[in-house]
Amino acid sequence: MSERLKAVFKSEPIGVTRLVSYIMAGDPSVEASLRRLKGLADHGVDVLELGVPFSDPMADGVVIQAAAERALNAQMTVKKTLKLVQEFRRTHDTPLLLMSYLNPLLRYGWDQLVEDASDAGVDGFILPDLPWREGQGLRLRTKKRVGNKLDFIPMIAQTSREQDVQAVSQVTEGFAYVISRNGITGGEVELPASVNKFIESLGNSLQIPRCVGFGIQKPEQVRALAKVCDGVVVGSALVKAFAKLDQKGLEEQDLIEQEKEVFSWLASLKN
Amino acid sequence: MVKEKTHVLSDDGYETSGHFGPYGGAYVPETLVPALRELEAAYMESCQDESFQQEFKELLQRYVGRPSLFYEAKRLAKQLGGARIYLKREDLNHTGAHKINNTLGQVLLAKRMGKKRVIAETGAGQHGVATATACALFALPCVVYMGEEDVRRQNLNVLRMRLLGAEVRTVTHGSCTLKDAINEALRDWVTNVEETFYCFGTAAGPHPYPTIVRDFQTVIGQETREQALNELGKLPDAIIACIGGGSNAIGIFHPFIDDKEVRLIGVEAGGTGNKTGENAATLCLGEPGVLHGAYSYLLQDDDGQIVVTTSVSAGLDYPGVGPEHSNLKETGRADYVSISDQEALDACTLLCQTEGILPALESAHAVAYAAKLAPGLSKDQVIVVNLSGRGDKDVETLAQYLEGGANHE
Ligand SMILES: Cc1ncc(COP(=O)(O)O)c(C=O)c1O
Repeated sequence: MSERLKAVFKSEPIGVTRLVSYIMAGDPSVEASLRRLKGLADHGVDVLELGVPFSDPMADGVVIQAAAERALNAQMTVKKTLKLVQEFRRTHDTPLLLMSYLNPLLRYGWDQLVEDASDAGVDGFILPDLPWREGQGLRLRTKKRVGNKLDFIPMIAQTSREQDVQAVSQVTEGFAYVISRNGITGGEVELPASVNKFIESLGNSLQIPRCVGFGIQKPEQVRALAKVCDGVVVGSALVKAFAKLDQKGLEEQDLIEQEKEVFSWLASLKN
Repeated sequence: MVKEKTHVLSDDGYETSGHFGPYGGAYVPETLVPALRELEAAYMESCQDESFQQEFKELLQRYVGRPSLFYEAKRLAKQLGGARIYLKREDLNHTGAHKINNTLGQVLLAKRMGKKRVIAETGAGQHGVATATACALFALPCVVYMGEEDVRRQNLNVLRMRLLGAEVRTVTHGSCTLKDAINEALRDWVTNVEETFYCFGTAAGPHPYPTIVRDFQTVIGQETREQALNELGKLPDAIIACIGGGSNAIGIFHPFIDDKEVRLIGVEAGGTGNKTGENAATLCLGEPGVLHGAYSYLLQDDDGQIVVTTSVSAGLDYPGVGPEHSNLKETGRADYVSISDQEALDACTLLCQTEGILPALESAHAVAYAAKLAPGLSKDQVIVVNLSGRGDKDVETLAQYLEGGANHE
């Protein structure tokens, strides 16, 4: 298991729970992504998710779709994403997970990818179109190649049944990503009242911490979830906040100033 | 490019569900996994249920008008010289294409599973119309996703869907064609998964769709086999079908797969050229990858992004293909070729003027390849063309070509 990730869940959270953030690599540029990764890490984010843009993001709502489009328009690739991580690692130790659809990674060449990713300082993968039961071969192949350096984060959905949860019950690395509701990322839809109950129902069947994501954007939500999980993921709301700044056409100095407000807003979610 | 393919997803002996050789699988968000499992179970049950099978069969006979005709196109063959040519007349089905075979089967399944709502994607609009039709017949609400570009070029079918009571939702992102309509339908399904049945339109997508759609379309090949044996006393020498996602092709190919003497030929959209973006010839020009839940051939760039496709025919304008076709290519059992926009348009006029039959632009691709193949064969050889649909929906596109020569848009 990634040592960096292990450390995060071993120590007590600062604030009500741990914070996982998501931004898209290359949206709107490599420089902005690097600056924002550092800023997020400096403002109390515990785990960073870095999205790899894909042309056909079927699990994403309009906010992240648009982010992927901007990144692709800026010629973002897997290779440049890994370079971005390498840059980030020069100065920061915050664990970082790549969130990517399968195809760009397969195209890069899986064996090369896992070597380059672990060299760059990636701690693991979240793969929204690789259900746990279909990923066995890929996980073993990865292990053979780079040992335990890269964690695969299993996702658990509201629709998941006992057998699905059972399948991840043996997992001892990383954390489980619990999807707060049926649907795609983002949206203004309230979380279902049943979500806390659902997480509680997972009970002792998992050996790993649980983080909840999809649609999280308010301190009330975080406080309510903090009682039953080990961390929350903020994705679309963050991407949207940065995109709003990018649309203003600000001078770099002003942009950097206003980004700080976004970092503070994010940090305030876990107060 | 000669590169040894490593199929890492199905490597190490971890055969997951629903594979054709290394291709297939179910690469979808975790939320959909139980829904696909439920669908697979319901489908398996329905295969054992005689009353379900009986109801499906009766619908095909009394509602669709099956068996469809096996018609010898003598004037066409005479003009081309060489082999005899038969047309499998799926264009004569109710709603005008093979798509209805599949939608009746799937909507029956939706009923059986107690689903309250049906969604579908459509390219040419034929699958949308066929889904809307089946939903009208079984009183289920129906939402069809269709790319903006396709709404424009297949407007007749948009009107038909609305008349049938379906809601057509225009998809305005990406390339605004079939692939984007599938993305949007998948997003709807993930969100409303408990009560919704996704009626998938081609033999692609995540397991179990490639199998279900193939099985519902296999009636085409079964009839063709029987009709050929009755009429000719032998099997055909070659069977030609166009490939969008591959449902009409796998439907007619499947019962012949073990008959090695029958050549199986899938025809893809060659569009305006062989460069990236100019065509939709996935098996001819693509490489394996994952899109829409399956590992199969894809048109993609060096970074694994799906590329924009071009075809005069909306139903073939798709950068993916069903996984069973990828495997038939890999094993060499079927051949895949491509036909350009211009050749398809020419074949449309040719079939109109020799036989009085207006084919869909999709099917015209198969006709065009038959026109290339026939002259090189002998008079006692037989080609069967799967005429997957009729061309009424394409009249506006054809008119533009006839008026404007080759400079369409
Ligand atoms: C008449 C007709 N033929 C063929 C196709 C292509 O689909 P498939 O390859 O699944 O048969 C379509 C799709 O819309 C169609 O309308």
